[in-house]
Amino acid sequence: MAPIALNLFPQPTSSPAIELKNVVKDFTIGLRDLKLRAVADLSLSIPAGQIYGLLGPNGSGKSTTIKIILGLATPTLGECRVFGTPSDQVEARVNVGYLPESPYFYRHLTGRELVRFYARMCGLRSAGLEKRLAEVLAWVGMVEAADRSVGTYSKGMLQRIGLAQAIVHDPQLVILDEPTAGVDPIGAAAIGELILRLKAEGKTVLITSHLLGQMEELCDRIAILDRGRLILEGSVTDLVGRTGRQTFVTESLSEAELAELRTWFEARGRGFESGEAPRARLDRIFLDRVGKSSSP
Amino acid sequence: MKRVSFSFERVGLIAQNTLREATRQKLFHFLVFLALALVLSARWFREFNFGAPELKFLADFGFGAMAFFGSALTIAATAQLFFSEIENRTALTLLAKPVWRSEFILGKFFGVVVLVGLFCALLTALLMAVLWTRERELMREFADAYPADGHIAYLQVALAGTLQWLKLVILTALTLVIASFARSQLFTIVTGFFILVICHLQSIAQVAYARSESLLSRAGAQLLSWIFPNFQLFTLADSLDAADAWPWSHYGRILIYTFGYTTAACALAAVSFRHREI
Repeated sequence: MAPIALNLFPQPTSSPAIELKNVVKDFTIGLRDLKLRAVADLSLSIPAGQIYGLLGPNGSGKSTTIKIILGLATPTLGECRVFGTPSDQVEARVNVGYLPESPYFYRHLTGRELVRFYARMCGLRSAGLEKRLAEVLAWVGMVEAADRSVGTYSKGMLQRIGLAQAIVHDPQLVILDEPTAGVDPIGAAAIGELILRLKAEGKTVLITSHLLGQMEELCDRIAILDRGRLILEGSVTDLVGRTGRQTFVTESLSEAELAELRTWFEARGRGFESGEAPRARLDRIFLDRVGKSSSP
Repeated sequence: MKRVSFSFERVGLIAQNTLREATRQKLFHFLVFLALALVLSARWFREFNFGAPELKFLADFGFGAMAFFGSALTIAATAQLFFSEIENRTALTLLAKPVWRSEFILGKFFGVVVLVGLFCALLTALLMAVLWTRERELMREFADAYPADGHIAYLQVALAGTLQWLKLVILTALTLVIASFARSQLFTIVTGFFILVICHLQSIAQVAYARSESLLSRAGAQLLSWIFPNFQLFTLADSLDAADAWPWSHYGRILIYTFGYTTAACALAAVSFRHREI
């Protein structure tokens, strides 16, 4: 497949892709001027070239944080920069692609017309536009459905055409808000693969999702928000890896062999915590079986 | 850092998309159908002409339909096309691109302006056809009472249709000002209709208050006339005779008047929308 890099808008790589400093966002509710704090003193620095997961329960401030990064909401306090440019400036969005949660696009346009519309909004001109459209539609696997009206698309197709519009101008930062919400496991896996390919091309990806298993597989670093506060941040390896523990996987052992092994560990002063048959992951079985049955 | 300058190309793209969406809406089809039906059926309402000559009545009836349904279409379409972007969250995707908020506002404005332009052009063309057909019938019936080339100056009819459109251009801009800060579509539509009434009646209020002894009343009337445009200036259906035509300079003044109010209203809408959270 043709390489995706277009490098329309090169950016200095010295600045972090996203930098939030002590960001606070309050919303006013009702006529009594009651304040709801959606984001509380949030500081984050997201380096370029990584897949960064923003996790948290509903109402934890993930979407508000994304809106601040995109300049769609103004922080009450603090500052936000995208590649060193304040996020409230139009210039900050030149190098950003965004796929909103449950995207809703102009239903009367075909997939190709929709991506062409957003490409032209980003300044792509006719000379390379059609070539770029063909590349991006192939990249997200939407060539066959590209000339169908968006109104007829399934959720998975909407997410993929949404991803196409997000990357059509070759941004260095791609923000994906719940890209796999409501998508079946096959679609979610396909989107996961696309995200990994974006990283392989040197893009920074900021992603929110409730599929923690998938986030663990995809992300280099994660931040967990709760009621607007950052409660945990770090690399996935550091956070989920358990130090001082080791796992072995071998062929099935008999009861006698297990007892012998336990004695061997005890003789060396090591505890033997558990010995159990490893389980296959249900999503892997699903993808294997459904993938096989649907292949020609 | 790459500077992003204001782009008329982006404005055009948003306008094109707005127009395409508008022409697919049932509301547009319904209002166009009603207005066309009313103009076509004007001949059957001749009994209610209140003493006016028949052709004048037909013209008044046609322009009445254009003004009424055109205003309804302008206010409803502006509010609907603006809020559909916010409520369906297509504005999120659009404004997350390097797009100025003023480009979004102007795109919406021009999309609706072309829509109401098509509406006015369609109705004016139909009205001219109705008038021409009836005039020819009357000329055959009462040959002595009509000059050889008829009474009606069709250029006057076309100009009257254009003036209706210019009025709706201002109304579009004023409705956009409301939409730029309003939280609901209903509020925008209701306020839009209030503004329409004020703009139609403000000349009457001005005349009434100008005679007032009170300085406060006179100042209030003056202020009202500065804030709201006078829509009575756009009515050109008193006579269809070429002899009663306005001088071209008068049309020029109306054009400047429209441009002034529209520019001010669009600028206000852009400023108000600039800090709106999406």
